[in-house]
This record gives sequence, C-alpha cells and structure tokens, in this order.
Amino acid sequence: MSPRLLALFLAAAGAAYSADHEFDRVVSAVETHYGVKRTHIPLMGLANFVVKVAHPAGTSGVKLAVFEDLPPAPGGDDLADLDRFMNEVCAGRLHPMVVTRSRLAGESTYILTGEVGKSTRMLIATFEPHEATVIEVTVNIETLLKMIGSPETAHRLFQDKHDDGDGGR
Amino acid sequence: MKIAAVLLFTALIPLGAQDIKMPASLEKLAAKADETVDVTLDASLLKLAGRFLSDKSGDEAPAKKILAGLQSITVRSYQFSREGQYDPADLEEIRAQVKAPQWSRIVGVRSKKDRENVDVYFKDGGNGNLGGIVVLCAEPTELTIVSVVGTIDPAQLASLGGQFGIPKFDFEIGSIGWRRDGK
Repeated sequence: MSPRLLALFLAAAGAAYSADHEFDRVVSAVETHYGVKRTHIPLMGLANFVVKVAHPAGTSGVKLAVFEDLPPAPGGDDLADLDRFMNEVCAGRLHPMVVTRSRLAGESTYILTGEVGKSTRMLIATFEPHEATVIEVTVNIETLLKMIGSPETAHRLFQDKHDDGDGGR
Repeated sequence: MKIAAVLLFTALIPLGAQDIKMPASLEKLAAKADETVDVTLDASLLKLAGRFLSDKSGDEAPAKKILAGLQSITVRSYQFSREGQYDPADLEEIRAQVKAPQWSRIVGVRSKKDRENVDVYFKDGGNGNLGGIVVLCAEPTELTIVSVVGTIDPAQLASLGGQFGIPKFDFEIGSIGWRRDGK
C-alpha cells in the first residue's frame, strides 16, 4: 500500500470514527445533563441495517436515540441554557446550521453538520418538554437543503418512521 | 515568500467577502422571543450544495446558479408574543455596518398602517452584480434579519426568497430601479 493510499485510508477511517463518536458523545452528554438514559428501541440496529425503505429518500445510516420522560433541565426551561449546553457539546466539532426554538411549544431543534461532502453526516437534536431525540444520519446534498428549508419537520421524518416500525413503542 | 503570500491571501479574503456581524444583543432577543429561527450556512456548504445540484433540472438549475457565487447566508428571525420586546436600537449595529460606501439602501418601506419597517441594502459587487444583501424587517412583534454574502446576479435575487431559510422577497428588482450596471 502506497503511503498516499494509506494516508487516504486513515483519513477516511478517522472521519468515520469521528462521525460515530459525535453521536455517542452527544447522547452521552444528554444523559449526563438530564440524568436520564436513552429509551431502548427494540431491533433498532436490525431495522437500520435491513429496512432501508424506512429511511426517507436521500438518507442512510440512521442512528436514533430517544429520551422519554425527560425531567426539567438543570437550568430550568431556559432555552438559552439549552443553547449553551449544545454549544459546549458540539464546540469545534459540529457546526450549527439551523437552530429553531419555540417557547410556546417548549421545543428546540438543532441541525448540525461536521465536514460537508457529497454525503454529509448530519446530527439533529430535538428537545421537547418531556422528550428529546438525537438523530445522526447521512444525507445527500438535496436532502440536506430540503431539511434546511423545513427544519421543524426534519426530525419527524426519522422519528415517525421508526415509531411505525416498532409499533409506536 | 510562501509565508508572505499566505498572509497576503488571508488578508485579502475579508475584503472580498465580508460577513455582516450579528450584534450580541440579538442573542438576548432569543430569550424573549416565542419563536426563533437561526440559519447559518457557510461557504463550504453553499459551494458544495451548488456542485451537486443539477444544472439541467428545472428546480435545481436556478438554485445551482445562485449558489455558485455565495459565501454565506445568515438568517435570524424572532417572533414575539407582545409588542415592545425588542428595541429598534438592536438593529443600529447592523445599520452601521451597511453605511460603508459600497453599500446602498435600495428599499426603505415604512408602513404606518401595519407598522412594518423594511430596509433592503445592496452591496455593489462590481460588473453589475451584487456583492451582498442585507434585509432588515421589523414589525411590532416580529423581527427578521437576512444577510447574504457573495456575488449575486440581481435577476436571480427573487429566487433566493423561500430557500435556505430566507423569507420570500415581495419586491422585484425592476420596480425598485436597480440596474445591472449598478448605477
């Protein structure tokens, strides 16, 4: 293997490792911040591997973590506190592309990306009064642009599909 | 010489593409607003998006053309439950930035009936193109700030509205007297 090929391989492996690592890191940070554990989704891994039709068009490799019965955040209902938390968790690694907050619905959505490429690894974190969802997904650029255009529906694309898949839990 | 070239290049970048700096006071508005939307799209994403969009598809071709010259898109939108939640002075820091000679205030709408104030600033990008756009839209319970940096053909300006988190523009370039020669 030539040094250049080796370097390319290592860079690709590093990027893949880093993408996986980001999801786990964000999930772990939410668990620590709120003092909850993610809800186990039966056969999530199998569904992800086999049921490709469950993914919206232009997406692949969905990872999903759902947090139910979410207690109030340590900083209360302060959305700025949630912003600070997400900024700290993602600092230097993920860039917030779109952030929406609804005080009335108590809902915040963060759409973050790492390195942008032909296929982009994207992280969508949604916080509702009693539930949070963290989704990592590889999207093609068309899907990415669609999600930027309607961020409030981005997480539902994946969550609803998986809700259907496991009978709504 | 290499170092000097890199330094020179780095120094020249801000001259070509200068982002409008969003004032820190806007961050505080997010705490008062009922609904907020922040969109921050940088050059790498925009360039890449443009590269992978088809120049033959009816939907994608106009977007691809626009994206080719863009450096950044920033949108800040705040919706409040009652009036008086933001201070018009919050926008002064942005207005100060678009007072530079290369910027022109092209549209200024003051509606007494709807109490809606809209200001649109264009930056001259040379060769009849725009180098940037800033839209400030202030209503009693809503505030929207849009900053687009990069080379934009005025004829394609309307296509930007409704995409990438940018609200639809309700004006046409022809009706506000913008000419391709920028005069």
